[in-house]
Amino acid sequence: MKPLDRFVALSLGRPLDRLPCVPIVGNTAARVLGVRTAEIRNSGGLLARAHVAAYRRFGYDVVRVFTDLYVQAEAMGAKVRVPEDETAYLHQPAITSADEVDRLVAADPGKDGCLPAHREAIVRVVDEVGDEVPVTAAVTGPFTTASFLVGAEALARLTLRAPAVVRRLCEVSLETALRWADAIVDAGASPSLTDPMLSSTVVSPRQFFDFGLPHLKRLVSHIHGRGKSVTLHICGKTKPVWSLMVGTGADCLSIDNEASLAEAKVAVGDRVRLMGNVPPVAVLFEGDAASVRNAVRACVREAGDNPRGLVVASGCSLPTETPFANIEAMVRAVDEIGWPPRVTEASV
Amino acid sequence: MKDMSQEDVSLLSRLSDAVVAMDGAETVRLSEDLLLQGIDPGRCIEAGLVDGMRRAGDLFEREEYFIPELLICSDAMYAGLHVLQPHLPRGAVERKKGIVVIGVVEGDTHDIGKNLVKIMLETAGFEVVDVGRDVAPAVFVERAESVGAHIIGLSTLMTTTMGAMSEVIRLLDERRARPRIKVMVGGGPVSQQFATRIGADGYAANASGAVAVATRLRQSPSELRVP
Repeated sequence: MKPLDRFVALSLGRPLDRLPCVPIVGNTAARVLGVRTAEIRNSGGLLARAHVAAYRRFGYDVVRVFTDLYVQAEAMGAKVRVPEDETAYLHQPAITSADEVDRLVAADPGKDGCLPAHREAIVRVVDEVGDEVPVTAAVTGPFTTASFLVGAEALARLTLRAPAVVRRLCEVSLETALRWADAIVDAGASPSLTDPMLSSTVVSPRQFFDFGLPHLKRLVSHIHGRGKSVTLHICGKTKPVWSLMVGTGADCLSIDNEASLAEAKVAVGDRVRLMGNVPPVAVLFEGDAASVRNAVRACVREAGDNPRGLVVASGCSLPTETPFANIEAMVRAVDEIGWPPRVTEASV
Repeated sequence: MKDMSQEDVSLLSRLSDAVVAMDGAETVRLSEDLLLQGIDPGRCIEAGLVDGMRRAGDLFEREEYFIPELLICSDAMYAGLHVLQPHLPRGAVERKKGIVVIGVVEGDTHDIGKNLVKIMLETAGFEVVDVGRDVAPAVFVERAESVGAHIIGLSTLMTTTMGAMSEVIRLLDERRARPRIKVMVGGGPVSQQFATRIGADGYAANASGAVAVATRLRQSPSELRVP
């Protein structure tokens, strides 16, 4: 089956050959193409070729155009360091004090930062493989982008000291996210949301409710209005906010390996598809084929029977240097389980 | 210094409460009151500020407080310290459990985790030298040697920078600075498995865990040389 057919069958509750499998490949795609990570970040052509090459090599079920979380914040004035051959990271927030919040304006995906290059990459990937595999592109959520605009620690303090400023930051970040989501849909792909700062490892469910939920709701409903379904990924612990994540309207929750798929299935599995959660570092980066196989089987044992379906995925984006053999082993392990997605203790 | 009255004791517990309640202004006011009452500032710090921060750490551990709450509690604690510390008698700063050089390794600027560990280590009585974020391996080693550190604490949230942690250990070995200087590591992608593999002396999953690890590292005999 083609990846697209798998998702259609999964949605309709029809049998398929195997569960969809999504090792969340980001800069590892550069390794597949044999180029440096800095080269793909701002080149639509290379970014597209890298992701197409990675998809063809591994045969996974979603192509997600992604280099790092900072592309929107950078397009709004945050300073990002781009090492020659490692993942980019935030160098300086866009503003140094909450007083400057009014200086911020939403980004224009047509000209700001590396958004135009990413847009070009999406168009090319869709053109090349869009008829067989879902193509998505990452949209960093408003709260997380806000943290890159003012600094994470400053944002954390502001949630308690000056909530109105946080809302301003989230509003302008939401505007960027809406425009970027539109650009992604216009390019033929689906936006895929990630808002790690809303993790319960960082903020309370109350803060999620106040600062995350309203903006994510608007973002999700906008994307739904464009005819696309939405996956929401939040890193780290999320159990206290699963029902709020469902409340955003997202169709699929991507669960980190810090949280339990089995518990998520019981809590929200009748309302949303689940995605997860093979540990990206301890298993996919540091483990071997056998440990990858075990981890995949554990995921399927926990949530292969999720009422709204399971996508066997990594718990978070893969480290750049994840061994190819482990990515291959992940897809192979899902293949081996086949359909129906059942793992009995005896077969482990 | 006078003896503690029942009222003074209650003032101290109110100081602790003010830290837990994230109330900086109240923390400062109570600290000033306690000084006026002639209560030993060292005692105010221990039984008031540090006690409050420890309780905040417990609430964080129980997931009743989260990072924003913990940061605002620490702001209150430091505001109180600012009032009390100048009144400590000379030589009274002897509650140091050890010196820790701490920072985020090169290639990353996520520093909330590092800052929380710093807060909790200081609360527990360690002297912490913060070298900041995006810090080259050699800088950790040089600073640790120049301040006579017992421990280097390395943090990262990014897998790409984990190699820099091994590099710090390699540099320390090259200078034969271990086991005099111990290394503890932490941060999102870091695990005990990884810490063991690169030869770190300790790993902690969170800020309160870091206090336990640092305390343990200070208790183990540092003179002991493994052949």
